[in-house]
Amino acid sequence: MTIPRAQVGTVIGLLEILRDFHGKVDLAKVADELRLELDDILPAVDAAKLLKLIQVNAGDLILTSEGTTLLSKGISGRKRELYNAVSNLGEIKGILNFIRKEHGSTVTKEDLLSFIRQEMPDVNAEQTFSWIVEWGRYALLLRYDDNTQKIRLTKSPAKAS
Amino acid sequence: MTEQVELAKLVELRNVTKAYGPLTERPHVVLEHINLIVRQHEFISIVGPSGCGKSTMLRIMMGLTNPEDGEVYYHGQKIGRVCEAMSMVFQTFALFPWLNVQENVEIGLEGKQFSKEEKKKRVTDMVKVIGLEGYEEAYPRELSGGMKQRVGIARALVSEPEILLMDEPFSALDPLTSTHLREEVLHLWENPDLPPEAVVMVTHNVEEAVYMSDRIIVLTTRPGTIAREVKIDLPRPRDPRSPEIYRIVDEITGLIA
Repeated sequence: MTIPRAQVGTVIGLLEILRDFHGKVDLAKVADELRLELDDILPAVDAAKLLKLIQVNAGDLILTSEGTTLLSKGISGRKRELYNAVSNLGEIKGILNFIRKEHGSTVTKEDLLSFIRQEMPDVNAEQTFSWIVEWGRYALLLRYDDNTQKIRLTKSPAKAS
Repeated sequence: MTEQVELAKLVELRNVTKAYGPLTERPHVVLEHINLIVRQHEFISIVGPSGCGKSTMLRIMMGLTNPEDGEVYYHGQKIGRVCEAMSMVFQTFALFPWLNVQENVEIGLEGKQFSKEEKKKRVTDMVKVIGLEGYEEAYPRELSGGMKQRVGIARALVSEPEILLMDEPFSALDPLTSTHLREEVLHLWENPDLPPEAVVMVTHNVEEAVYMSDRIIVLTTRPGTIAREVKIDLPRPRDPRSPEIYRIVDEITGLIA
C-alpha cells in the first residue's frame, strides 16, 4: 500500500508537533497531548512514514531530514517537496504511468476507478480515488473537476529538483 | 524621558452593553460595560466560558449587531453599520456548497469596486498564499475541514481587511489539522506584506490563545465583563510546551473556571 491515506493537513500537523519536541517523541505522548486515541493518529503516522518524512522506531516518531526540509519551506516549497515525494510512491507511479500511456494527460474518474479495481483488488476503489485526488491536488500533481469527473495531470513544475 | 510611540487605535469599544430585551425592564444582559481598544499590529484573543458573549463582542465590533448602550469607534469615528474594513472567519466555515473554491473566495470581493480582471487576480493570488492552489475547482463537499477553513480564511483576506475577526476558527478541526492551520495563520500574520493590521480571535481554547496572541481579554459570564487583560510579550515562534506558556495558561484557566 503506497498511497497515503490521511489528510495532508494532519500529516503536516504531526510533523509540526514532532518539531516542537525537537524531532523525536513517543507516539503515545503525542496521542496523550492531543487527547486523541492512537487509532486517530495512526493514519497520519503511516502516511508520514510512507512519504519518508518520519521514521518509526520502537514507539518513537523521529523526524527525518526530508521532514525537516519540508517544514523549513513555505507553502509553495512544501507543495514542491510533496510533488516529488508523492510522485515517487510505487502505486502513484503506476497510476501516473497508466494515465499517461492510456489516456495522455486526462482521465475520467470511471476509467481510473476500473484501473484501481483491477490493479488493487483489495482496496476500496472510491476511497483510494479520493486519497489520490487529496494528495494530487495539494502537491499540484493533478487537477480534478467533479463536475466533469475528469482528472488532468499537470506538467511537472520546472523548479522541482 | 523617552517618548513611547503609541500604535494607532483601529477600533475602540466604549462602555458597550449588549442586552436582549429593553434596559428598563429586566433584560438578559450579554455584555456589560466593555471597554476595549484594538491597536495596529495586535493579535488579540478573547477567551471565556461558553455563553459569556465572546462572539457577540466580535459581531458588535464589525457592526453586525448594535449595542444597547455604549459606542463603537473605528479610527475615532462612530460607525453605526457594518464596517467594510473588517472581515470574519467562522467556526463552521460558512461556505456556499454550490460554489467551488475559486468562487467561494471571490464572494469576499462582492460589492468591491474592482474590475473583473482585478478580482480574478486578487482571488488567484490569495488562493496561492493560503495554500489552496490546486483546489480551485473543488467544491466544499470534496474538502477536509482544514481545507474548508482555508477557504474561509482566503475569502476573509481577499478584500485585504484592516482587521480580521475569527470566531473559534480552529475548534471544528481535529487536533492535528488545527495544529497545522494555527501555524499557517501565524506565518501569514508575521508577513508584513499581507493584511490585516490586527487580528481579533474568539476561542475557548486557552492554550491556543496564549500561543498565538499579543494580548488576551478574559471574559467572565452573566453578564460578560472583562475580568482581566493579559499581555503576552514572549517572542515568536513560541514553544507551546514552555514553562512560561504553561504559567500563563494556568493563570487564565484559573480566572475562567
